[in-house]
Amino acid sequence: MDVQYEQDAGEIKRLQRCINDLVCLLALPALWSGGDISQVLDTLLNTLMRMLRLDLVSVRLNLSVVETPIEIVRVAQSFGPMPPAHEICEALNHSLGDNSPKWPPLLRNLMGDGEVSMVPLPLGLQGELGVIIAAAQRAGFPQQTEALLLNVAASQACIGLQEARLRSQQKCIADELDRRVARRTAELTAANAELQLQVGLLQRLPVSAWTLKPDGTPDFVNRVWLEYSGQTLDFVRSRPDAWISAVHPEDRETASRSFWEGVRSGQGFAMETRFLRARDGTYRWHLNQAVVLRDAEGRVLKFVGTTTDIDDQKRAKEKLRRSEAFLAEGQRLGQIGSYCWRPATDEITWSAELYRIYELEIGMPVTLELIRSRVHPDDVTLIEKMKLVDQAREGSHDFEWRYRLLMPDQSIKYMHAVAHSTRDQNGQSEYMASVQDVTARRLAEEARDKAQSELASVARVMSLGALTASIAHEVNQPLSGIITNASTCLRMLGADPPQVEGARETARRTIRDGNRMSEVIARLRALFSKKEPTTESVNLNDAVLEVIALSILELQKNRVVLCPELADDLPLITGDRVQLQQVILNLLRNGSDAMCTVEDRPRQLVIRTERDNGDRVRLTVQDAGIGFDPQAADRLFDAFYTTKCDGMGIGLSVSRSIIERHHGRLWATLNEGPGAAFSFSIPRTPAGLAHADGIRNIQAPAVTGSAAA
Amino acid sequence: MTENLISVVDDDESVRRTTTLLIESFGFPAAAFESAELFLRSGHLHDTSCLVLDVQMPGMNGLQLQSHLAAAGCGIPIVFISGYESKDFRQRAVQAGAAAFLGKPFSDEQLLQTIRSALRFSHRDDSLGQIEE
Repeated sequence: MDVQYEQDAGEIKRLQRCINDLVCLLALPALWSGGDISQVLDTLLNTLMRMLRLDLVSVRLNLSVVETPIEIVRVAQSFGPMPPAHEICEALNHSLGDNSPKWPPLLRNLMGDGEVSMVPLPLGLQGELGVIIAAAQRAGFPQQTEALLLNVAASQACIGLQEARLRSQQKCIADELDRRVARRTAELTAANAELQLQVGLLQRLPVSAWTLKPDGTPDFVNRVWLEYSGQTLDFVRSRPDAWISAVHPEDRETASRSFWEGVRSGQGFAMETRFLRARDGTYRWHLNQAVVLRDAEGRVLKFVGTTTDIDDQKRAKEKLRRSEAFLAEGQRLGQIGSYCWRPATDEITWSAELYRIYELEIGMPVTLELIRSRVHPDDVTLIEKMKLVDQAREGSHDFEWRYRLLMPDQSIKYMHAVAHSTRDQNGQSEYMASVQDVTARRLAEEARDKAQSELASVARVMSLGALTASIAHEVNQPLSGIITNASTCLRMLGADPPQVEGARETARRTIRDGNRMSEVIARLRALFSKKEPTTESVNLNDAVLEVIALSILELQKNRVVLCPELADDLPLITGDRVQLQQVILNLLRNGSDAMCTVEDRPRQLVIRTERDNGDRVRLTVQDAGIGFDPQAADRLFDAFYTTKCDGMGIGLSVSRSIIERHHGRLWATLNEGPGAAFSFSIPRTPAGLAHADGIRNIQAPAVTGSAAA
Repeated sequence: MTENLISVVDDDESVRRTTTLLIESFGFPAAAFESAELFLRSGHLHDTSCLVLDVQMPGMNGLQLQSHLAAAGCGIPIVFISGYESKDFRQRAVQAGAAAFLGKPFSDEQLLQTIRSALRFSHRDDSLGQIEE
């Protein structure tokens, strides 16, 4: 009974332990949860060693055909010294073979000190996952319960390993996923930074940038615009033309029209408007431009545009326009036109005022025919003159030109051009001329000349007494000779015998005196006639000699010693001989008069002609008289300035005007010794003299003896 | 000593020569001088019976020569001829004792009569002198 009981009690104890071990094995997957394969194997092998008091346990695991199998061997310490694990495995594998279904449930093998019982436990249905080998030296291994526990452990291991493998695979996938996510995140971060940069640029461009939906509603507006206008993005996006509230009221209608035309036509737009600047409440001009973006089918995707502040340029342009307008107004007021000719292209450009002066429609093409239709037929046109100057290609190309216009109503306009040649940006030569309508000035000058001439006439009447005496003497001298000679001739012929030779001489003298008288009369007529001044070649020396011949008696009467110093090589000059003689006569008489009170020195009067610098001719009359007050030197040539109680002060002013019309000058200097010198210098061939505005139209003021400074 | 020598003083060569010819055609001997100074230096001062004198001359003019002769006590009758019809000159010349003052132009008869009366005046002076002697 006790044995039986003890046997039963031992059986119960064994079963209880078996059940405990089963529970322990069934709990293994919970321990393995989250662990990897090596942890699963480690736990399993340790559990089996301890639970079944095994001497050796090994596992070979074929996770995949490509991977090297995992092999682990555990040997109990009591088992004694063992060969290395892989040799044990090799030996085990060799005794088992590869084909798991043919494995025996138990095999015995000599190992170490003695025989061991080895139980192979295939993993997976066909052992495809691998094999666990449990071995013990003790006899009876495995008992029934031990076999059960081993089988349960094997199936539990299979589950645990599958799960672990799955987890491992999942982890791999998760890792790969994480890696890919991380890589993508990095890519996105970089792309985002680039995008941020672009957006930042777009927001901070020095222009307002925006995009419109196909219906014209803004969907993007950059910060520049929002800061300028003070509008919010929501407001701008609220309706297509919300932005127009920032437009100057005067510009709204045209801005709205251009905007909608551009949007509806799908062409985009470009328009200038004034926008209110929120910061200071000022309106500034802006240029708004929109271009269209289309998809492959040509449908409008977006309008992309900018709004640029052009206020400064606009103001500069306006300023330029205004100054051009001022210039044009100035030209109109001054009746000065601009004339430009480019030889390379033969292009002629006129300012508006020039058209006005020519009485032509502003802007019509300027042709040679058109010019010719206005310029006086006798005159050379400015463009012809420019071409002549250009062809000459020598010296300065700057010149003055005077010509007349003959208007359709037959009225005459006097033109004065000052031309200058220059080079344009491309180095092409260009002639610029300012052309002034000097008709009014000409009329005024003519009126002044007439007045001056009248004044000169007054002076002439005033001195008529003195003049008559002079003329009488000039005429009487030869007349007296004629009468005397004729009488003598008669007497000689009437003598007995007739003195024929003497009569012949007196007759010859009669003729000579007749000629002399005729010359005197011709000179007087030339000097005082009203005939128009003429332009001719004048030998100044001859002109001087004629004046001397006329005035020598008067000079002698005043005890004046005249010393002519006439240059031999004096070139001919172009001018009016009689006018120049009037000036010379005036200078001689002034010199003579200045010496009328001189008693202590010779009353010497030098008249000198000589070449002057720059192809000019100079004449000087130098006296030894009373001179003049240096402080009054400037006034000597003023009309009515005189130092003589009986003078009218006309002579020198008229003389100067005559010399100036010959493009020369007349001046006075004090001698080192007593007296003064009056000189004039005139160019050999005054520019413009041969032309319409030459001295042909100059009045002929008479110069007389007593009417001088 | 030439009898009834008529001296002509005129700076104008033509007038001088013409006048001299005319006087000679009257039958008088005549001498011509270009200036007052030349006449004074000529040596004919004392045999000149009548002086035909121009007023306007460079250097010493007619009136100055007249006063110079008067101052020297020389009483040659003087006939002035002048192109300038100047009352002033005529008055001064006559007051200073001129025999005549002829304005140009003058006829040959005028000159002849003037010279004859001047010569008579001269001869009367001479005859008076002779009478006194």
